[in-house]
Amino acid sequence: MGLLLLAYVGSFLVGGHAIRGIGLPSGAEYLVLGFLVGPDVLGLLERSTLRDFDPLAHVALGWLVFVIGATQGTTRGRRVPARRLVAGWLVTLFTGALVGGVVWLLLPWAAPSLPRLDRLLVGGGVGAAAAETTRYAVRWVVERHHAAGPVSELIGDLAEGDALVPLLAVAILFALPAAGPTLAVPRGGVVGITLGVGVVLGAMAAALLGRTFRIAETWGVLLGVTLLAIGITERLELSTITATFALGVTLSLLSPHRRELAAMLAPTERPVMLPALLLAGAHVDFAAAPYLPFVLSLAVAARVVAKGLVGLGLLAASRAARPAGSRLGLGLLPAGALSTSVGLAFALRFHGPVGAVVLAAAVVIALFGEFVGPASLRAVLTRAGELRADAPDPAREVPA
Amino acid sequence: VSAAASPGKAAATRVVQALVLVSLFGLLWAATGAVPGLPSLAGTTGAIGFLLLTGTLGSELVEVVGLPHLSGYLLAGIVAGPHVLRLVDHHAVEQLTRVNALALALIAMEGGAELKLAALRKGLRSLGWATLVQSGLVLVVMASVFVAARPFIPFLRPLPPLAVAGVGLLWGTLAVSRSPSATLGILSQTRASGPLAQSTLTFVMSSDVVVAVLMAAMLMIARPLIEPASSFSLRELTHLGHELLGSVALGTTLGLVLAAYVRLVGKQLILVFVALGFGLTEMLRYVRFDALLTFMVAGFVVQNLSRQGERFVKAIGETGSVVYVIFFATAGAHLDVPLLQKLWPVALLLAGARALATFGAARIAARAAGDLPVMKRWGWAGLVSQAGLTLGLSAVVERTFPSFGTGFRSLAIATVALNEMVGPVLFKLALDRSGETWKGPRPSLSSLSDPALGKET
Repeated sequence: MGLLLLAYVGSFLVGGHAIRGIGLPSGAEYLVLGFLVGPDVLGLLERSTLRDFDPLAHVALGWLVFVIGATQGTTRGRRVPARRLVAGWLVTLFTGALVGGVVWLLLPWAAPSLPRLDRLLVGGGVGAAAAETTRYAVRWVVERHHAAGPVSELIGDLAEGDALVPLLAVAILFALPAAGPTLAVPRGGVVGITLGVGVVLGAMAAALLGRTFRIAETWGVLLGVTLLAIGITERLELSTITATFALGVTLSLLSPHRRELAAMLAPTERPVMLPALLLAGAHVDFAAAPYLPFVLSLAVAARVVAKGLVGLGLLAASRAARPAGSRLGLGLLPAGALSTSVGLAFALRFHGPVGAVVLAAAVVIALFGEFVGPASLRAVLTRAGELRADAPDPAREVPA
Repeated sequence: VSAAASPGKAAATRVVQALVLVSLFGLLWAATGAVPGLPSLAGTTGAIGFLLLTGTLGSELVEVVGLPHLSGYLLAGIVAGPHVLRLVDHHAVEQLTRVNALALALIAMEGGAELKLAALRKGLRSLGWATLVQSGLVLVVMASVFVAARPFIPFLRPLPPLAVAGVGLLWGTLAVSRSPSATLGILSQTRASGPLAQSTLTFVMSSDVVVAVLMAAMLMIARPLIEPASSFSLRELTHLGHELLGSVALGTTLGLVLAAYVRLVGKQLILVFVALGFGLTEMLRYVRFDALLTFMVAGFVVQNLSRQGERFVKAIGETGSVVYVIFFATAGAHLDVPLLQKLWPVALLLAGARALATFGAARIAARAAGDLPVMKRWGWAGLVSQAGLTLGLSAVVERTFPSFGTGFRSLAIATVALNEMVGPVLFKLALDRSGETWKGPRPSLSSLSDPALGKET
């Protein structure tokens, strides 16, 4: 416990450097660190010990996605145009559906005896984890290389809208198994309840914070609604991250103080994300299922194809994208916090091969994206002429 | 913040807050009923969120009638807890005790850091008299009242007179204990400054050590009275010596490390406190050191042996809004309402007698020390609260004397419940009346756009 707490604190201390100075956009180093101290490598953390951290992991994921929801639709102080948000949803839907569909379709080849429900959960989970283009990578490249122009703006806008589809998919997938406390409602109703918990609590928070409220009490309300949403959904085995996302979006839509709230919440995003990544890395179990390597290679390949097609689609549909050239799709490959959150949420919900496979896929997708994505993004923006030639060398910058 | 210090809160705001509060209770109550097989829908994480939310709202609403925020937190906990609406079940309340240990660590560090050496030196005469009279007089009076109330206390009836006297001494010691958390909670809310706030804080924080010594001494004296077969032993004092010295030594080390951290790194202080609080509380429990004293000394060292006190206090203070809500709402949920219903007449008698004894002792001490008039008038009001420390001492008695310990602890719980509810009200009233409560504005959400106010948060 002490070790993880130290790592937790350490990650906070270093976390502040990540965007503008050292550190990777996906936080992949924390995934790797978690994996190294986890049960499969150094064994400093046993699997049973990791289970003790489940409540902490739920809270970290819930808060992280709540902040993503509350700051959704704005990037660098600018509201993302609605059509770009919708385009972002479509891009993630296409990517997730293609990756998930391919995994679901070909999985019987590697795991013929896998039950239908497990096959659906693995396919859907991997698809949800593969859908995003992390906004951190875009911010990272933009901030580090002082990029500015229509292509970086387009990619940034698309990345801002990448959370909705995977999180809805998670809510639906979590409603499929008939485990846990019995809710006497159909599966559609379960999804509705997941969203309803977030929407009702978000509306309550907005109603409260709309009145004159001291900042000290504001934190009490924000933490209170989020923890309550996490507690209820965790108890009912619903998707915590979907509920807190709905909470954040509702609060952002209804509160007259959305800007002030975003300013309060945004600094907490990265510090919560890094320990969550550390936990996710420690949870990874590459020996969870014999068909895992097959799923991993399939997911990565399908994602490259999907993002490549998305890139081509954007080149055809958007004039702003054209200066980017044919590598645009590869520039959309970075994944990170959301993918890993989806994976970890699966691992926390399904304590068996299904959860482990989805988490491993999410982690591998994030790591692969880290190797290919930012470099491609930089190349794309260079080709588009959006990287400033006189930008200072980031290696020589004093970290923030 | 008192009602006077937060002007502009329209009735509509209160109505919205009340509606949301009622809706929250209603929703969770209905939802818990709709899911069979779950004693409570909230679970531990949800319970923290629920208590945080309802406690915050409760505190806003009780402000209307001039009650302190702590009363709102307690009320929220009582209503949501396992004895009334059962929205937070026994299991969740037990789990929350671990979170409370962290809250206590932060509260103790804040308390220690609020003690400034210069102020201590200045008020040493006053503190000395108050400690002497409050400890001596209250102990004797309450031991006598307890013995006199024997016919109303079931577990005393089978005991011989000497044993009753021994139990009375233990009860008297219990009565001397105060509540550092309630004192700091009220001071955090009112942001009071002045002689009353300072001397109450100093007395209450230092009384932790005094009570620990007294309890060890009384256990030593009472044991042969209660169990005639046992011999007089200095074992308790030996243990106490180890505990106190160890706690002070560890607290000093921790304080120096924290001061170095604040100076050299200075980032993410709250998280460091939380991590240290969790880790060290577990370790202190293992080595049987006094967590309250250790963290208090750490705060004291940072404040007085380094230049980092101001930053340190500011960082801890930022957690206050959350820490106090969880701590006192959990205390409310812990409150055994059926037990209080059963024991309330004798608990009321003992709590009333204690308040009177405290009042009298404060008057005598203030006169002897030549204190300011405000101390003579209101010095007693901050000393009525009791909470976790007293319950901890009653648990020690229960463990040491199993023959009557359960009844003793139950009565202590009932009495502490009354003092816990009345004490903060009295202290806040005293601070308001003495003019020490901060009356200036406090940063609101809207003020975030105003850099000058925003920085103050």
